[in-house]
Amino acid sequence: MALLIGCLVLLVVAVVLLGLFQDLLYSAVGLAVASIMLSIVLFQFGANIAAVFELSVCAGLITVLFVSTVSLTKDSDQSGESRLPARFLLPMLVVFTGVALTGVTWLASHVGAASGAARGSFQEIFWGQRSTDVLGQIAIILAGVLGMLAVLRVKLQGGHHD
Amino acid sequence: MTEAVAGIAFTGLLVFMIGVYLLFAYRNLLRLVLGVEVLAKGVTLILLAAGLHRGMVPLIQSLIVTFIIVETILAAILLSIIVICQRTNGTLDVRVLSKLRG
Repeated sequence: MALLIGCLVLLVVAVVLLGLFQDLLYSAVGLAVASIMLSIVLFQFGANIAAVFELSVCAGLITVLFVSTVSLTKDSDQSGESRLPARFLLPMLVVFTGVALTGVTWLASHVGAASGAARGSFQEIFWGQRSTDVLGQIAIILAGVLGMLAVLRVKLQGGHHD
Repeated sequence: MTEAVAGIAFTGLLVFMIGVYLLFAYRNLLRLVLGVEVLAKGVTLILLAAGLHRGMVPLIQSLIVTFIIVETILAAILLSIIVICQRTNGTLDVRVLSKLRG
């Protein structure tokens, strides 16, 4: 329980710091730390495969993509950005905490009790019951690849490549 | 609802609201992508809390894996569009990007 509370607190702290940092590279590190904490929480509750996905894809791949994008757009104007949203983040956090507490209290009183454990392992459910999701994932990955190719083709036709 | 599930649901709601705040408050496109990612972390936590409450961890695990894949493809597409946008317009401020305004 102590490990769970520590991970959840660190996750919220990382997310808040991500909004407070002015340097986008520090914000990317904050996002990676939040992903690591989330994967530890997933691992604690037996969602091992989801934890590995979260750790490798979200904490690894997305951070690398984000840092690459920051380095590709390094001449963008970062210093002129307003600090107003960061100053309001901490007061807003108090409001958000109140709303979240109210929401969880309402859920606890209105959501019914557990209806029994699901039958089958992750493999049986993923490849058997949720096989349509696998097709959807393949379609989304293909759409992503084709979308990036389309963006790159526009770039080459526009003659802006360097 | 056990204490652990309530704690995870509370953190999920809190992180989700911080993500929405990042989306509304910031004007830099890269920070908006960060907001989407934070929002996705909150959704993952809420999904986990729902699965734990109903005792359906394997089912919710497969949904989380699907969600992570969607989130990653979305981030990759958004970041590639941001690179092109910055090279075309020279800025990442959404207030300046008015070419698509009707």
